[in-house]
Amino acid sequence: MSLRIKKANIGVLFFILIGIVPFAAAFIYALLYSFGVTGVANDGFTLKFWETVIASGSFFKSLGFSVLIALVAVVISVGGALWITLKFKEQLESRFFSFIIYLPLAIPGIVTGFFTFQLFSKGGFLARISHKLGFITEASQFPDLVNDGLAFGIILSFIALIMPFFILLFLNVYKNERVEELSILAQSLGASANQIAKKIFLPILIKKTWVLIVLYFIFLLGAYEVPLILGQESPQMLSVLIIQEIKQYDLDKISEGYVVAVLYTIIVSVTAIALFLPKRKTAYAN
Amino acid sequence: MNRIRNILFGFLIGLSLLGCGEKSKQDDEQLKSATWQEIEKKSEGKTVNFMMWQGSTAINDYINNYVVPTVKEKYDIDLQISGGQGPEIVQLVMGEKQADIDEGQVDMVWINGETFFQLRKVDGLWGSFVEKLPNSKFIDFDNPFINTDFQQPVNGMEAPWSINQFAIVYDSQKTSSPPKSIPEFEIFIKENPGTFTISNDFTGMTFLKSLMAEIGGSPNALDGNFDENKYQELSAKLWAFINESKQYFWKEGSTFPKEQSKMNQLFANGELLLTYGFREGSIEDKVLSGFYPKSTKGYAWENGTIRNTNYLGILHNAPQKAATMQVINFLLSPEAQLKKSDVDGMNSNTVLDMSELPPDWSMKFLDAKKREFGPSIRELELNAITEPAPEYMIRLYEDFRKHVIEN
Repeated sequence: MSLRIKKANIGVLFFILIGIVPFAAAFIYALLYSFGVTGVANDGFTLKFWETVIASGSFFKSLGFSVLIALVAVVISVGGALWITLKFKEQLESRFFSFIIYLPLAIPGIVTGFFTFQLFSKGGFLARISHKLGFITEASQFPDLVNDGLAFGIILSFIALIMPFFILLFLNVYKNERVEELSILAQSLGASANQIAKKIFLPILIKKTWVLIVLYFIFLLGAYEVPLILGQESPQMLSVLIIQEIKQYDLDKISEGYVVAVLYTIIVSVTAIALFLPKRKTAYAN
Repeated sequence: MNRIRNILFGFLIGLSLLGCGEKSKQDDEQLKSATWQEIEKKSEGKTVNFMMWQGSTAINDYINNYVVPTVKEKYDIDLQISGGQGPEIVQLVMGEKQADIDEGQVDMVWINGETFFQLRKVDGLWGSFVEKLPNSKFIDFDNPFINTDFQQPVNGMEAPWSINQFAIVYDSQKTSSPPKSIPEFEIFIKENPGTFTISNDFTGMTFLKSLMAEIGGSPNALDGNFDENKYQELSAKLWAFINESKQYFWKEGSTFPKEQSKMNQLFANGELLLTYGFREGSIEDKVLSGFYPKSTKGYAWENGTIRNTNYLGILHNAPQKAATMQVINFLLSPEAQLKKSDVDGMNSNTVLDMSELPPDWSMKFLDAKKREFGPSIRELELNAITEPAPEYMIRLYEDFRKHVIEN
């Protein structure tokens, strides 16, 4: 056995030990818990927790709600970031602006959540200013922007959290993939600005970053602190629902939380595997 | 060869650990028959881990700046505080039980009836120990608010620490006559739409219990063991009433605050006209700190609000049970209880019975400064009802979600 193969093996071994084993163990534990096999308050294998969760429908409502919110936030963030990159790439080179973009990356979700709440709640900063300016006479007249049915607050926080990241990402891809040179070349061949954006700028940037875009979507799907602070009681985003079910007062039903966690893990894992499995390349195919 | 040696070594360590576990279990049983002197001797120089709710600066101040240094000085016990309440404590106990941990991370917990019920369910508490404590002689164990927790006999498995009552809170400048019964409440919310809500937590469910008792027609309507038929009948009326009224709630009843503390914020910034809470609405410190206006007042529902005691328990796998008993005994001493009831400090009612105390101590309690803003526990006495059985709480949580929030 050559030394090189051994080294590669050690790498794989570490990946399995650190990356896969703990996750798999936790998943198996949750799976057993959801069937009542483990758990202090459980008394053996049963399907009733699965039946309850599937029958109640709150999981699917919550899943749909989470997908919708994550999707809207990612679409707006990516769209906004592309537009800003296209329009302001020169200005973004300046020190001041790049600092402004880097700054939000250092702010954790929970802080963004609180900040959004302080700004947009009915007793918050904007409501107080409106009151001072005489737009409203009572706190209750201020529009519902946090803990609201349209999840305005959650989406806004998500955008604030991830849009700067995408701007930086697109700026880098723009440079590394030499989109500038390609654009100039296209222009010299007679392409309009619109054509350049549609045929060169967008395809290159999206193709190079789609994996990250999908990963961010999955990340938002499972976000916890922001929906906890800014969400409403029903429907809730998935992580909030899972924690609520696991921490509930009735110990006999804690397993329902594990059912939701297992379902969520399966859905995300299957999606991820389907997306990231290397496609079988057929030679010379169109 | 080396590998075999390692395996053997690990095996030996495992065995000795198992041995320790067995030994500590025997020690615990002996503690139950030990004299107080023996317990005192065992507790010297030990470290006790106390898991408690740390959401109030006044409480943290009492614990960190008075209790911790005093037990160190008097008994040479290091009291370590960690944050966590009901669900966290239950999670910890269940996790440690699952992993067969004989010496847990936490010795002592601050709990109330719902957690007591959960911990009894998973055999998470060690006891009975309360009658061993010398200071328990100052407590009236014939008081139903002390010897029964959520309709469950306490049986010395947890030591009472403070007693308090649920109160409704309002600003007397904005609201001259707040509602005290369901008919008054209906008129109030129609006149002041958007200014009331129900938090989806322990406190909100406690308010629902008061409403349910009133629908049941008397302060004792929910007493006794859980009664399915009674629950079905009363809760159906309760949900019908709330669903009819919720259009006049905060945000038209489309959502409810997750926690009562959020209601306090909404009350402070004027969105809500009413809030509520245990510790007689915990008005005093909020007014003193400027969070609530000075015109804030608290009262009890006409048909009664819930009065309950909160307790200190010892976990089944507490490594330092003797030292924990010493700490709990200190917390029940007249000195520590008087300090705890200081209106400028933690401001929580003593569980000690004035008639059992030595006269010099009972005088000190009587002479202590009185509350300026919040109601005293005495004032609410006439409208006190006991906690119903825990099953009512479980069902209210579930059904409030099912019939109101998701409706």
